[in-house]
Amino acid sequence: MSLSRLQTATDILKARTRAYEAQAYQAHRGMALGDGSEAQPLPLGASAVDHCLDGGLACGGLHEVRSPLARDIGAATGFALGLAARAIHTDRMGRSGIVWVSDPATRVDGGGLFPAGLAQYGLDPSSMTMVEPGDLQGAMWAADEAAGCAGLAALVFQIKGNPARFDITATRRLMLRARQSGVLALTLRQSGEEEASAAATRWRVNTKPSGADDTLERGVGAMRLLLTLERNRAGRTGQWLLAWNPRDRSFHHAAPHPASRTKPSAHPLDRLPASADRPGAPGQMGQVLDRRQDFGRAS
Amino acid sequence: MHRARWGKSWIAGRILDAHPETPPVVVTDTVKNAIRIVALDQRARARGIRPNQTLSDARALVPDLDCHPADDEASRALLVKIAGWCERYTPLVALDTAPEVARDHGLFMDITGCAHLLGGEAALIADLEARLRAQGFHVRLCLADTPGAAWAMARYGQARIIAGGAHAEAVLPLTLSGLRLPPEMVASLGRVGLKTIGCIAGLPRAPLAARFGARLMQRLDQALGREAEAISPIMPVAELSTERRFAEPVTHQDEISHVIAALAAGIIEPLERRGLGLRNCRLKLFRVDGHVSLLDVQTARPLRDARMISRLFAERIAGLHDDLDAGFGFDLIRLDVVHADPFEGGQTEMMAHHAAGQGHDALVDRLGARLGLDRVQRFVLADTHIPERSFGRQPVAHLGAPGSGARRSAAGNAALAFSPDPQAPCEIITRPLILFDRPELMQTIAEVPDGPPLRFRWRNVSYEVARSEGPERIACEWWRDGRGARTRDYFRVEDRQGYRFWMFRHGLYGRETSEPAWYMHGLFA
Repeated sequence: MSLSRLQTATDILKARTRAYEAQAYQAHRGMALGDGSEAQPLPLGASAVDHCLDGGLACGGLHEVRSPLARDIGAATGFALGLAARAIHTDRMGRSGIVWVSDPATRVDGGGLFPAGLAQYGLDPSSMTMVEPGDLQGAMWAADEAAGCAGLAALVFQIKGNPARFDITATRRLMLRARQSGVLALTLRQSGEEEASAAATRWRVNTKPSGADDTLERGVGAMRLLLTLERNRAGRTGQWLLAWNPRDRSFHHAAPHPASRTKPSAHPLDRLPASADRPGAPGQMGQVLDRRQDFGRAS
Repeated sequence: MHRARWGKSWIAGRILDAHPETPPVVVTDTVKNAIRIVALDQRARARGIRPNQTLSDARALVPDLDCHPADDEASRALLVKIAGWCERYTPLVALDTAPEVARDHGLFMDITGCAHLLGGEAALIADLEARLRAQGFHVRLCLADTPGAAWAMARYGQARIIAGGAHAEAVLPLTLSGLRLPPEMVASLGRVGLKTIGCIAGLPRAPLAARFGARLMQRLDQALGREAEAISPIMPVAELSTERRFAEPVTHQDEISHVIAALAAGIIEPLERRGLGLRNCRLKLFRVDGHVSLLDVQTARPLRDARMISRLFAERIAGLHDDLDAGFGFDLIRLDVVHADPFEGGQTEMMAHHAAGQGHDALVDRLGARLGLDRVQRFVLADTHIPERSFGRQPVAHLGAPGSGARRSAAGNAALAFSPDPQAPCEIITRPLILFDRPELMQTIAEVPDGPPLRFRWRNVSYEVARSEGPERIACEWWRDGRGARTRDYFRVEDRQGYRFWMFRHGLYGRETSEPAWYMHGLFA
């Protein structure tokens, strides 16, 4: 074999390797791979968020929604159900089933989904299958099974706190199964701290005062959620104020409430929206302008 | 089977394999204001104790008597367990609990069409007796054409098998107690000299019926086969059944899974022939020592796939809290199709639904098999305005699959199906996403008589109300809750931080109560 032919073979191999790497990278980001057989990203409907997510949430993948306080569970449930409703609404294969797996610890608070509220929120209550195993191990097994079921539109796995058993291995398993089946898998973590997980994104949901209503002076207006994208494996993070439109089944940007408008930061360059008001925010020492190299690393 | 499990039920006459020096065991009960012996073991009998003797007399004979009070519940439980084990011979096993007979209960087995499987009637009887004796039971058996004749001969006769058609002659010499009559009736018949069944069989019927009641004639006819007597099996009779018997008991889980797969494969062909699909099937594992393990599996829609069936059973076994206790092994494993429905749709339709419906149904079946059917639920509507009663949850296995045209309302009660309402999603949301099972009492400062709350304290946190909407009045259901029930005024409330709550005032101020209580009932998104 002459040297030139060897060179050519090496080039071909290198090109192939590059192609594989690109493919793997694309798959990692949950993007569509040319043909339409792969899962399309799920746009939230709010332009800034979708732009940050490169078009939307990876549909076949695990995403975590957490609420820092127990009373935020309403807002977090609203966000998770909104994503599930969007997943059904935009699904091209006609999948409409949602499986809601809940850890028994979440029942201690005594709350459960209310079908009339679901219907007003834009979800068909009869599409929900509620799974309530007797222990966390059973719940994790059920979530694994549901994540691997290609006939589902979405899986919501509700847990409370940070149970040790639901560790990074368990989340990675969920992530892999969801990626294979194309199911939108969501972990809804009530009053939980940030922890390492294999989820593609992690969202913190806080509730915000609703906007003034023209017709009702003291009336409760449309809901507003302060969404913080705390972690994004494939891109930037950010913080947005969103509202949910049940009729269109989409999120949209909400104008900040006039009373809750915060004063602008003293340092205009000090932009770190993700960690802006969370407990572990960096102190005021110095300025961190870019920590982007941290975001790609699997922690 | 251990003594601990059955309580103190020794009525079945178990032979104690105990040390010979252990004291004789008797069971006592209060009969006619005296504590009398109702059952005893063979060592007690050998030492001169008789049934119906008072305990004080028996103690005088044998001072170290080990006596236990009778426990009818435990006896019945034992009998039911033995009946479950007896299903290895025939599916038709019934408890014999005739009310006239106080304690002398037994089992009826209808072995029509089953004897040839074990090599004939004699072989079946011998096998049954040998196995029960090996488990430590003292049994009396009789095989006859009618339940009545078998009952009489087992208790008061010697024959083990009465040939076909010969039952009438066989029971005639037996005592009248063999007719399952109340003891008083037997006694009064005895006073007029009628002591055997043969005595009354030849007498004119009308005077006997007038004197002793129609029951006597009915029992006589049942014993002689003039009147049919149906027995009611304790378990529903399977539509299809397939089993494997083992000369060497199987213990390993792998072997059991193999057997399940083979049984499931064997049941597909008969199902296909009948055009049925399996909805509910039961695996019975007969352990050598007489214990029977039952494993149930239900499916959301008719199933005819052997691989799926064995997978469901694998999940079911994995979901058992303690492992399947094989003990010394299972010598008979049986798969029963308890319920089967017509198998809808052909093969092509199946493939079309594969992406959407089939995967979802299979998931529901798997979850139900492992976690328990009642843990996989779906919402159903109820016809009421009270929020916590306006919906219920039903196991999916009882509802049928979503999107299937023929939604089964197997529950039959007020399980209304949700109809997808195109108007349902609206801009103004009046119902919360999360509802508390029980409304939670809170301390509230509100305007009287019917204003919205201004400030409230819930779960140890104080909230200041910024915005509120209401009241939305939901009247009580007086036909259900009675006279004292109160009206609820629901408010949608938002606090200064933006948390949105659904709360209500319980009772109208001034009309129903002077101090209405406030309850938290739900959380909005």
